[in-house]
Amino acid sequence: MTPVGLGRPSLARRLVLLAVGWSFAALVVTAVVLALLFQQAALRRFEQTLGVLVDNLIAGSTYEGGALVAPAFTDARALRAYSGLYWTIAEPTKEGRLLTATPARSRSLWDAELRPPEDLLQRVRANPGRLVTFDAAGPQPGERLRGVARIATIDGHESVFLAAEDRAPIDRDVRNFVAATALSFVVLGGGLILAVFAQVRIGLRPLFRLQGEVAAVRGGKADRVQEAYPTELEPLAQELNALVLHNQETVERQRTHVGNLAHALKTPISVMITEAGQRPGPLADVVTHQAEVMRQQVDHHLRRARAAARAQGPGERTSVAEVLDELSRTLERIFQAKGVIIDWDAPDDLWFAGERQDLLEIAGNAMENAGKFGRRRVRVRADGAGVGLLRLVIEDDGPGLSPDQREEVIQRGARLDESAPGSGLGLSIIDELVRAYRGSLTLGASPLGGLSVAINLPRAQA
Amino acid sequence: MRILLVEDDPDLSRQLKLALGDAGYAVDHAPDGEEAQFLGETEPYDAVILDLGLPRVDGVSVLERWRRENMASPVLILTARAAWSEKVAGFDAGADDYLTKPFHTEELLARLRALLRRSAGHATPSLSIGGLRLDPRAARASVNGEPLRLTSLEYRLLHYLMMHQGRVISRTELVEHLYDQDFDRDSNTIEVFIGRVRKKIGADRIETVRGLGYRLTCPAGEADPETAGT
Repeated sequence: MTPVGLGRPSLARRLVLLAVGWSFAALVVTAVVLALLFQQAALRRFEQTLGVLVDNLIAGSTYEGGALVAPAFTDARALRAYSGLYWTIAEPTKEGRLLTATPARSRSLWDAELRPPEDLLQRVRANPGRLVTFDAAGPQPGERLRGVARIATIDGHESVFLAAEDRAPIDRDVRNFVAATALSFVVLGGGLILAVFAQVRIGLRPLFRLQGEVAAVRGGKADRVQEAYPTELEPLAQELNALVLHNQETVERQRTHVGNLAHALKTPISVMITEAGQRPGPLADVVTHQAEVMRQQVDHHLRRARAAARAQGPGERTSVAEVLDELSRTLERIFQAKGVIIDWDAPDDLWFAGERQDLLEIAGNAMENAGKFGRRRVRVRADGAGVGLLRLVIEDDGPGLSPDQREEVIQRGARLDESAPGSGLGLSIIDELVRAYRGSLTLGASPLGGLSVAINLPRAQA
Repeated sequence: MRILLVEDDPDLSRQLKLALGDAGYAVDHAPDGEEAQFLGETEPYDAVILDLGLPRVDGVSVLERWRRENMASPVLILTARAAWSEKVAGFDAGADDYLTKPFHTEELLARLRALLRRSAGHATPSLSIGGLRLDPRAARASVNGEPLRLTSLEYRLLHYLMMHQGRVISRTELVEHLYDQDFDRDSNTIEVFIGRVRKKIGADRIETVRGLGYRLTCPAGEADPETAGT
């Protein structure tokens, strides 16, 4: 995945944060609700058990001789001192309080008393015939009790029946449940986060593929983007292709337009030159000279327009062997009277990363120079040269150039355009095109005796 | 000498007719592609000066059709189009020379003279084996009527093989006859040339005889007009 700057918006980060945030909130709420439900269920069961005890107390109690006699229980826990299960039959006093220090209580209380909250009497009176729950401190230090109470009238005497039990076991159960739930939810949350990461990565993969494809189009390795993308990206891919096509058309139109204009000017210039040639005189001299200047301007701007168009257009690739074959045939016909033989060789899988027309211009002009300045023989070799480069070497068997002359030609470089036609080596077009492709041009001596022109150009993948 | 001038610009046509007439040529003028097509196919011209940007039918199409109809006159293309892609297309269509506008009349006349001189001379009969034909006069070859696009060395190789049809020719012999004295004589490059020529004429027309060399053959099912006639 492409690294993203922290300050910049990131689709992946946005998707991950949203999913993680939502999952976290959902998990926490679910865990709290589950814990509460569990606690309530546990307490209800606990209170039901105590309720049965209270019911038994009420059912078994009698008045004998003005005193309340509680039933005899055989439950070991109610007999053993401070066992955690307690009961008491309390009497409401005239002051509206609850007297719990009565003899009718469980053995387990021993010498202590069950102390319910102050408002218990009001609550049981408010709910006659129903169980009322309460919390209280137990006889043992730190012991917390959960109890139920009910008011009942036995033989005309109103009594409040209370039963309570140490709530430590359910508190422990609830704690264990919460711990187990939290742990499993943390594991679930971790798994969810991993799943979200994987989902975002896989989900966004076509986007990265599209990015790679656009780069390939720009680099000239492909002429359009594949349109087999998910529904959401397909319109984007189609729009990109339309943009590429539009760009190509614009470049082509511009080139055609400039070409037509320049070419349209050439015939009138020819007419002027011919007419002036047929009527010698001072006017003819001026016309001839000016027509020549116009010709140079037309050629210059034609080439400039082509170079500008190339810089904008998406890349292409061209077979070097095909171009050399075509040029050899053409140049041998051009130099037929001289009997020039062109001996060329290039691997079939050597591709120039650029336009066919440009390679034709570069190699064509270099080979024409060789044919012009050589005696009869032109040798052309092309091959790969390092990563992403190809090397084209054009040699002739002519007189060649001395090292000083070669230096001078290279030094003139960009200024070659201004040199008068025929006086230079005609390297200006080659130089300009090679520069446009960020290639290089070097001159040397050929073993054939003449000039060796070596040109490095970008190479396309086979 | 009778010349066909195909040019749509009236001023340039007038000037060229004048200059060619002064140089002693009889000149016919065609202002568009259709008329050029007709004149070229019906009248015997010694040479043609052909503009490429023509009304009705463009120059390259006119030239291609002439060559298909076996019109043999040398053709000089005179055009504003100076790009190598256009030159290659012109020569592949069958041009013999190419001059770009603007030009000097003297240059045109010199090119025309050279063209006429070349086309005169040799009158060697054409060679053929099966559908493969080679015309030494025009230095052109074709397979089943389709013109072949050969470089000079490839043409020489084919020419030599066709002059010695049926015989096995060793690599050394080919090297001796293909290159001038001052060429590097590397017999390995012969394989490269044989490969390229095979690609252009069809691989089964040149047979490799192991250890001996190469032989030109007539592919099975293709009648050889030379032997079929006798």
